[in-house]
Amino acid sequence: MVMLATPSLFSQTTIDTSPTVGLRDGRPSSFALSDAKVVIGPGSVIDRATVLVENGLIVAVGHDLEVPKGFDVIPCQGKWIYAGFIDAWSEQAVKYPQKSGAYWNQNIVPHRSVAELVPGADQANALRKQGFVARLVAPQGAIVKGRSSVFLLKDSGDQGALIRKNVWQHAQLTVPRNGPGERYPNSPMGATALLRQALYDAKWYDEALEVYRANPKTEKPEHNLALESLAKEIHEGWFLFDAPNERMALRAEQIAREFSIKIAIRGSGREYRDLDSIAALKRPLLIPVNFPEKPRVKSVQSLENLSLRELMHWDLAPTNPAKLAAAGVRFCLTTDGLDDVSKFLSQLRVAVKAGLDAEIALAAVTTVPAELLGLGDALGTIEEGKLANLVVLDGNLFSDETKVLECWVAGTRHHFESVGSPKKQDQWLGEWLVDLPTMTGARKTRIELRSENQDLVAEFSSVVEPGDLKKLPADDEKKRKRKPKKVSTGLNHLTFERDRIAGQIELTKLYPDAAPGITLLSIIGVDTPSNSQSNQATLFLQLPDGSSRSLSMKLITRDEVTTNQDNANSKPKEAQPEPKESKLTENDSLPEKKREQANKLVDTPLLKPFGAYGLDQPLNRHSLVMFRHATIWTCGEEGVLENADLLIGDGEIIAVGVGLEVPEDALVINLEGKHLTPGLIDCHSHMGTDGGVNESGQAVTSEVRIGDFLDNSDINIYRQLAGGLTVSNILHGSANPIGGQNQVIKLRWGGSMESLRMKEAPAGIKFALGENVKRSPTRYPNTRMGVEQIIGDQLLAAREYEAKWRRWRSGVREGLPPRRDLQLEALVEVQRGKRWVHCHSYRQDEIVAVLNVLEEFGVQIGTLQHILEGYKVADRLKKHGAMASAFSDWWAYKFEVFDAIPYNGAMMHDQGIVVSFNSDDRELGRHLNTEAAKATKYGGVPEEEALKFVTLNPAKQLRIDHVVGSLVPGKHADLTVWSGRPLSTLTRCEQTWIDGVKYFDIQVDQTLRLRDQKLKSQLVQKALQNSSPGSIAGGEASDVNEEDRWVRKDVYCAVHGGLRHETAVGQGEKK
Amino acid sequence: MSIRQKISSRLMHRLNVRFLVIGLLVNFTAQLFAHDQVPGQPQKGPIVIRGATIHRVDQPVIQRGEILFNEGKIIAVGEKVTVPPGAVEIMAEGQHVYPGLIESMTDLGLREIVAVEETDDRTEFGRENPNARAWVAVNPDSELIPVARAGGVLVAMTAPRGPWMRGQSAVLQLDGWTVDDMAILAPAGLFVDWSAVHSRDDDDQRRREERERKLKDFDKLILQTRLYQDERDALTEGFSTNVRLESLLPLINGKMPLIVHADLQSEIESAVTYAVSQGLSIVIYGGYDAEKCAALLKQHQVPVIIGSTYRLPMRRDDAYDAAYTLPSRLQKAGIHFAIGGPGAGGPGGAASARNLPYHAAVAVAFGLSEPDALRAVTLSAAEILQIDQQLGSLTPGKDATLLIVTGNLLETESNVIDAYIQGRQVDLGSRHKMLNQKYQKKYSQRQSR
Repeated sequence: MVMLATPSLFSQTTIDTSPTVGLRDGRPSSFALSDAKVVIGPGSVIDRATVLVENGLIVAVGHDLEVPKGFDVIPCQGKWIYAGFIDAWSEQAVKYPQKSGAYWNQNIVPHRSVAELVPGADQANALRKQGFVARLVAPQGAIVKGRSSVFLLKDSGDQGALIRKNVWQHAQLTVPRNGPGERYPNSPMGATALLRQALYDAKWYDEALEVYRANPKTEKPEHNLALESLAKEIHEGWFLFDAPNERMALRAEQIAREFSIKIAIRGSGREYRDLDSIAALKRPLLIPVNFPEKPRVKSVQSLENLSLRELMHWDLAPTNPAKLAAAGVRFCLTTDGLDDVSKFLSQLRVAVKAGLDAEIALAAVTTVPAELLGLGDALGTIEEGKLANLVVLDGNLFSDETKVLECWVAGTRHHFESVGSPKKQDQWLGEWLVDLPTMTGARKTRIELRSENQDLVAEFSSVVEPGDLKKLPADDEKKRKRKPKKVSTGLNHLTFERDRIAGQIELTKLYPDAAPGITLLSIIGVDTPSNSQSNQATLFLQLPDGSSRSLSMKLITRDEVTTNQDNANSKPKEAQPEPKESKLTENDSLPEKKREQANKLVDTPLLKPFGAYGLDQPLNRHSLVMFRHATIWTCGEEGVLENADLLIGDGEIIAVGVGLEVPEDALVINLEGKHLTPGLIDCHSHMGTDGGVNESGQAVTSEVRIGDFLDNSDINIYRQLAGGLTVSNILHGSANPIGGQNQVIKLRWGGSMESLRMKEAPAGIKFALGENVKRSPTRYPNTRMGVEQIIGDQLLAAREYEAKWRRWRSGVREGLPPRRDLQLEALVEVQRGKRWVHCHSYRQDEIVAVLNVLEEFGVQIGTLQHILEGYKVADRLKKHGAMASAFSDWWAYKFEVFDAIPYNGAMMHDQGIVVSFNSDDRELGRHLNTEAAKATKYGGVPEEEALKFVTLNPAKQLRIDHVVGSLVPGKHADLTVWSGRPLSTLTRCEQTWIDGVKYFDIQVDQTLRLRDQKLKSQLVQKALQNSSPGSIAGGEASDVNEEDRWVRKDVYCAVHGGLRHETAVGQGEKK
Repeated sequence: MSIRQKISSRLMHRLNVRFLVIGLLVNFTAQLFAHDQVPGQPQKGPIVIRGATIHRVDQPVIQRGEILFNEGKIIAVGEKVTVPPGAVEIMAEGQHVYPGLIESMTDLGLREIVAVEETDDRTEFGRENPNARAWVAVNPDSELIPVARAGGVLVAMTAPRGPWMRGQSAVLQLDGWTVDDMAILAPAGLFVDWSAVHSRDDDDQRRREERERKLKDFDKLILQTRLYQDERDALTEGFSTNVRLESLLPLINGKMPLIVHADLQSEIESAVTYAVSQGLSIVIYGGYDAEKCAALLKQHQVPVIIGSTYRLPMRRDDAYDAAYTLPSRLQKAGIHFAIGGPGAGGPGGAASARNLPYHAAVAVAFGLSEPDALRAVTLSAAEILQIDQQLGSLTPGKDATLLIVTGNLLETESNVIDAYIQGRQVDLGSRHKMLNQKYQKKYSQRQSR
């Protein structure tokens, strides 16, 4: 790390050439802060010390210093002085540079700098009040954003505030918010591809200039300021990558390694979720303290959309800095993400309470940022020669009550002065009876709703049947006569809506044997007093353990429409067999204690992936597993074997057959009555990716890679495992004739992003034809004629590109070196048979056209996708040797699929084509087995062959049939256990194995549900207790939803003309 | 005079039809084109199906029985029925007879190709369209209808779409020259999307306010309708008609139910209490969270049309099979429900209506009994749509709207090989079968060369 700054920079005596206007205004600029507790730096404290400040610099610090004459002595008894804090993150809009000398894409502006900027002083005072004296300002927007600088937090914002310019080059792996819309790139995948291309271009630019300088007769590379500065930074600069979640941090590392650049990472506060991987990067991090505010848990309705992941994050986020520190990560703490910077100190204290060592916390805002920003000589500690940047507090920085009294910025002192009824709801009023659940059964309970001083009061009391009283021992007589005890819910939490009253109650106060904790309830009723049914209402209880009840309650007496307080003591009126009040025999505080204990026990595990259904420990693999007595559909030469056995070991199939010998140490799984098939394979999917699915900014985007954005936390991976799926081909969308590169994954739930990749699968790329790609009126192509031309033209371009490189590599060094072009490189691979084309296609004409073009270039197609008119040209497919991956029976969503028929698959199959059925849909991907059955229904494909449509055939199409797709010795132990015949709609998947590891089990799934429900309810209970002592997270900071951490919109390739109605809560609009 | 032949020749030999009446001869034509499906002609004489497994739905299954129908109505069902002379006898040994399936929510007839706007008549301009009537825009020649029919769906409720008050739905039988031939019940209900009067704001206070504001607008509309009715009844001078309010009269008079699209617990609760407080009859469509509203739904006897079972969980934390188990959970909770197919949506919707039986089947894989699953797409649907006097089970007196299937209807491999709507034999051909045959010819021609 460069720790350099010219000493002259720190002299605060500004040499000014402008004449004085009016009287000169020289003031003493020498101060002595005396008798304070001075924290020199992390871990180093001097009691009763004095700090001498002159001309903006610290000239001396120590115990019993003699104060020279002319120094203004500021007594600081009982006060603490720390070195001023450095905020290593802020950003500001900066103008884009002029066109001349710019990169072709305006998202690459490395030559932009904030150094010339006069930083806004708006936040300066708020930051100083938190102890900050300096901050980094980074340019906002773009992908390679430009260079940041460090400014002192001065009021005027003049140039004197700049203390270090061009610190870091900033970059992000996604498109800026309010980004380019239709322009390239408009997806995170595209942004990453552009970034890589720009870095390669910069390297090339350097080389090309060198060649040109050596031989000025060669053609001259364009003058490009952007590439020039980028090239310089690749060699000697630092990049700071934004990482809006833990996955993005790991992706930034990929770039750093590819280009051997030095990077720091602007983290997200979510690093704790993948701590080991993050720590292993050994990169410095900027960490926010915007811990999420308490989840809204006050009513049943607010719980409706609250996810376990959100609750877990709320609980664990404050421990993020402590965990990073424990893992040895070097980091700064910043105000990043705080909606109000004045929350910084309180959030910092939250982090310390959550286990962050105070010295490390201090270092994270002083010495660490000073060093990272190359300002170690000037900032970070209270030492002679450094800038007089001081924070004066009335106590220890990490005590809750401590306030910042003064903040000194380069010798300039900043001194801080100490410094609303519900409407009447008559229809509810009265006494109601309901059976409330306890652990020992239902208890008849009276709920009295009455109005007191315009407020609604709800009182719950138990009703004891006459018979029960006799059971009480005689000495309880006194208690029996005691006034009945009632429990009322707190008014704070009691709310009305026209159809409901919502509130909270602790049922243990009423029934000691009820579930301990806070129960949320809503009373749902009809708000018409005249309505005959209004003597009934529904009581919905969300119990503390996360379970819920829907109960009926009956009105026994209606209150007259009076709202007097007298009613408060009204005795139960007639009706009902004179219910007697029970007494609470237990001490009231006992359940309270139990409750607190329960809360302390919440130990939120770090589930992988984070959230519901995550694993709390890695799955283990038995060295030998024997499946016995199953009906085995091998999808191989052995066909279907009844009452057969399958032996797997070390992730591979060892043997399959009838009456296999059981090895001694094998784990035996009896599958009598069950069916066993190869794990299902989906040849067309868009799940498990968070990079936007579609880069639609250009007609050709072969440089874009789905594999850059695998999302190992996507719940659809688990859901599809539960449908027996083991392998999925994650494809780029279909907005462009030549789309992005696909990634075949194995559904290794709980593993890393990297572990999802199926290493045996060869590379591939998406092509697309027809309506989707010709839709944009502002872009070529607009017809199928143009589609055919652009594909041919690109293949030609790639051919020429390859020839250029071949010449260069063979030693013919005329002119400039060729430039590496990621887009054409992928198309060279296509022509060399190293990258398979998966082509979205519908109509017969376009199918024939694309096959003709490919044949012209000697390219064998990987698959034709969708291929819904394949039945019309099956002979043409056959001639090419093309394989077909179709929908079983989709049609009529676009004009080009009006001739789609469900007989398509069978007809192509009958013509000898390898056919698969795919999903292209997160729901359909959960039951490909029943999709396969449609090949039997429509066209009479035998069941055994139909099953291959979702096992062996897609394996062939993805060129992975040497390792998966059938149950044959030597192949991967990827298999699915079914409750019955695999193609039957009445069957369900019970187990899914990948590489000999059981990733889904229908019974384990049940235990995960219970685990998650318990964890969720515990966290809700914790959040419900405002004052619970163990609660550390009191943050009020805002945070962004998990799905919206960065901008992306996922457009799938087949779904057009209306959303399916399964659209999830929190995932876009409904219906 | 002849019975048209619409059963493809490959299916013909599976169905042994014996004609006892000379003159009722079959005109076998192999030529089939788009739009060639011709509506069936009225039943000319008694027909008896023999030897089949008969799924009566309202009564236990008859393993090997007979069903007799005449003049469009079921006359008798039993192990043995008295067959009048002259009856056409259909031998259906080993096959299964079911009532025609009822798709209880679809956009069938209202749209052809979703992406071609001009062919889509589902959504009227604006938010408030109580007067939009689905049946006036149903295209009886839609290519999607024969496809649905060939899958066993003989009756469907088709409904408009839109952001809030979508319009009036109609129950149609899927055979006829015009909508008049097809309509069984129109209007069948007013279809609204409750999310439009709801709020998903996670701030309690804001949510309450937003919801109250929206509900007040609805209050006002209902009140205006009542006043309009008074004024109308009084024949006040200068009375001015209002087609929107006029169309709401059957709703406020309890003659037409409110069919409410609602999935979340709070939406369902809000819709039910609202409807009950206004004295409106209500049906829930969607019903994802209906189990949590069991007491309320039962208290007010509100039925639920499950908005398809092949559906993703709505929340990340939900069980993977939440939608698959919904029917069995509602069954256990004692809620009256029907299972709707793919509803109105993207790929799916009307184009996938033929998959309705599999939406019932997956519920069986996840806990529902087979008879209950079958009931959910026949009799329960008829009850909820209030056409059970006429349809939904194989009961003497009801319409002879029925299917002959090669096996268990819930299994994908089974195929419908014969169908009757009010005794009219239904053409089971479709665009799909015809394109299939056309291109089979291509390959057989090449082979023979």
